[in-house]
Amino acid sequence: MKYTIYLSSLILLVFAGCKTDDEFDGPALNDLYGQFAIVQGLSATNYDVDFSTGEQTTFESSFSKNIDWVLEIKGLQSGAVKRIEGFSNLLNVDNATWNGTTTDLPMFKQESCAVQLTFLSETDTLRDTLDVVGARINEGFVVSDFETGTNPGWNSFVQTGANMSFAVQSTIPAAQGNNYFNIGGTVNWDWLIGLINMPASAYGGTHYPLSENPELENFNVMIYKPEELSNGIMLFQFMEDDNLDGVFTTNVEDMFSLEVQMDKNGWGQYSINYADLQTLINGAPSADIGNGIREPHKLLQISVLFLANPASGYANAYLDYMIFTQNGILEP
Amino acid sequence: MKKTLYILFLILAFGLKTWAQEEKKVTFNGTARSLFYGDKLTEDSSVEDTITVPRLNSGHVLVDLGVNIRPNKNTEIQGMIRVRNDYGGFWGSGVTFDVRQLSARGVIGGIVRYQLGDINYKMSRYTMWNYDQELISNTPAVFRQQTDLVNYDHFYFNDNSRRQQGAAAEFALVFKKYVKELQFHAVTTRVKTSDFSATNDRLFSGLNARLIQSKYFQIGVNYANLYDIPGTSRNKSIFINPVLTADYKISYSYKNWEANLNGEIGKSSTRYKNNTEAPDWDGRLNELNAFIKENKYGVSLNVQMKYVGSAFRSPGAQTKRIDFTGLPLAYSRITNEQQLRALSTMDLMRESDMYNLQIQPYLMAFSPQYDNITPYGDATPNRQGYTLTLGYAPKKLPVTASVSRLAQEEVKGEGTIFPRVFTRNEITLGTDINKFFPAWKKTMKLTMNYRSDLTTREPEELVRDVNLETSVVNLGLEIETIQLLDLLVGWQEVKYKGFDYTAIRDTYSEIYNFSEFKADGNETMRAIGLRYRFSDKTNLSFQLNEYKIRNEQDLVPQYKVRQFMLLFLMKF
Repeated sequence: MKYTIYLSSLILLVFAGCKTDDEFDGPALNDLYGQFAIVQGLSATNYDVDFSTGEQTTFESSFSKNIDWVLEIKGLQSGAVKRIEGFSNLLNVDNATWNGTTTDLPMFKQESCAVQLTFLSETDTLRDTLDVVGARINEGFVVSDFETGTNPGWNSFVQTGANMSFAVQSTIPAAQGNNYFNIGGTVNWDWLIGLINMPASAYGGTHYPLSENPELENFNVMIYKPEELSNGIMLFQFMEDDNLDGVFTTNVEDMFSLEVQMDKNGWGQYSINYADLQTLINGAPSADIGNGIREPHKLLQISVLFLANPASGYANAYLDYMIFTQNGILEP
Repeated sequence: MKKTLYILFLILAFGLKTWAQEEKKVTFNGTARSLFYGDKLTEDSSVEDTITVPRLNSGHVLVDLGVNIRPNKNTEIQGMIRVRNDYGGFWGSGVTFDVRQLSARGVIGGIVRYQLGDINYKMSRYTMWNYDQELISNTPAVFRQQTDLVNYDHFYFNDNSRRQQGAAAEFALVFKKYVKELQFHAVTTRVKTSDFSATNDRLFSGLNARLIQSKYFQIGVNYANLYDIPGTSRNKSIFINPVLTADYKISYSYKNWEANLNGEIGKSSTRYKNNTEAPDWDGRLNELNAFIKENKYGVSLNVQMKYVGSAFRSPGAQTKRIDFTGLPLAYSRITNEQQLRALSTMDLMRESDMYNLQIQPYLMAFSPQYDNITPYGDATPNRQGYTLTLGYAPKKLPVTASVSRLAQEEVKGEGTIFPRVFTRNEITLGTDINKFFPAWKKTMKLTMNYRSDLTTREPEELVRDVNLETSVVNLGLEIETIQLLDLLVGWQEVKYKGFDYTAIRDTYSEIYNFSEFKADGNETMRAIGLRYRFSDKTNLSFQLNEYKIRNEQDLVPQYKVRQFMLLFLMKF
């Protein structure tokens, strides 16, 4: 009898752990085949968001199953677009918070925005609106955003070609704010269309207020390329005062360059880490001229040159929002 | 004179004995058969099928000629070649030659038995076991004739062993007291050969140690491992899948009663070394059987409780015989649109190309409509529950009966935390009717079997419920009419209806998707035939068979196939 009890106890003990698992194998059936329903409609935690003070807004919604969704915020004046995508059954602070950044340029400004939530495999669309009462302010040193026109401390040179344009405009939505700089024209004898020299003195200092660490500094610029034109080249030259005498000596001190071929139609952001700047001679990488050390804190002048093959006819581009940022490129 | 005659007698007797011994050194064995099928397809469609050829004739003649050589009393060599001629092929063009078997076995030092070459091997039901294919159990004899041919061609034997190529050895130690015997078995076989590029050499190795303490108690340890050999190809991903189990049996008998408690417990581990994409599987199993029988009345009861984890992987036991991803050769496409015809019970019975020979490292596809509960036999992963089997086999009555009920559920839900629940009820009856009448000497056997499967899962708020039913009925009759001439009659019906989500697995057996499986149909086979038994090893059979299928979920319409089969089979 006691052996029966022992055996029964052993059997019970052996099979005591046989409970059903709380997890499951494979993808959720609910996600694959469950009926889709909107449980909670789309809403925002802040309908008048001031990004300039660091505010954010979080979008909230929930559905009956995990699904691929796309949340799109469009600036009704700027045309800026912010796109947030995800796969989940709800939108919350973990996956749908907007800090004022942009996915498709231009950048948002103070404006009303249309918000739209769509789903990859469903036809439902949820909509809402909110207002940006203050555009996001990016940390860094702004070389120019052209909002107050050109810097009086700059100097420039414009060729005497045909259909020349060399001015601040606001005809189309700017990449940032309202204004941008229009450079264009037909010069059939020279590559140079026009240039702008931006000395550090225009900003009240002997050198640009940048750090000594080239890997920390990033140069960012927004350039607009008209869809019908592909012949323009924007060249940025960074002249360093290697010997700190306050004067840039050609062929003696370092001049690093960034050549932008403008491969994006419309507004595009072009960024480079200062440590990656190269010495270019006629567009080709060459040996450094000066001490060969990237020293942002010795940056004396930035020159912006708009170039085009003289045989290519009319060339045009817009320039906006030049800014140095630290610890990564600009998140517009 | 007497002395001379005595010496002559001795010389003659010795000479005769020597001659007899020399004659036994080489013997011949094998099988010969001639098989002919005449099929006719009829489609139940409002539009006549003008493309598919309705009548198909096929068949072959083959001889498996084996030579058994015993060069000495400790060594045996078996070689067998197959000569096959398909009907319609002329000599030289339709004839195929194949080496069907080559093996050697013997005894070393009178202690160790070994086998080399083509060997049949099995271990426990969770380590190395060749489970029967779907729907074969309790199939009437008239259908078994065709299934037996397929099983013979693929080396599927009644002991559920697997035909492998490799080497095996075994020896035993016998003791005088405390322990009766200690047995050791080992095997290594080659499962896959390297292509010197992306495929590694793959071996299967097994070890079994068994301690038989007495007729009351025995315990065994089983180790099986399917693994790649590193360095045999450029593929750095190395597959390894060891399975370790322990089995035990405690037996006791008293007067007319006998009882035993037996079971197996173990674990498995599946790894793909140097492959970050592949998952790691660690599973375990636990099975316990309690059996009791009263011999006077022949009543027995077996209670089985089992747990097989969802991550339990044992290629030696889980490899299926049928490859359900294949297509039938006969009438592979029918209707004017030439729709692919899905595998059916008729194809399971006779379609040799659908059968798999080699151990596979992954969980093979199965057919939920035929068996959704135990597609990989007892080693089916992700099952826990019990099975009750009540048996009746009295000594004084020519009747056998059994009733069983299986109630299991998933250990881990698939696609949801809610597990599917499985139930199976089965009843089997068999009787030798002629034995009720002592004056009736000719055989008259009746077999009946009914099986009902149900898979369910309660609906969730937005996911439909699972409810898949399958029922199988088998009826078979064997009647010896005149001397050695048997009348065989059989009927089998498979019905399936319902819905389930079937898992779609990748090459690592990981579920990455589900498909909706809807079933609504039935398949009926009925046959009548005659079999003349020239001897126990030779017979001539012919049968008329009609197979009908209705499958509402298939693109092909309802159809039937009438089959005429002529089979001559001889074993020697």
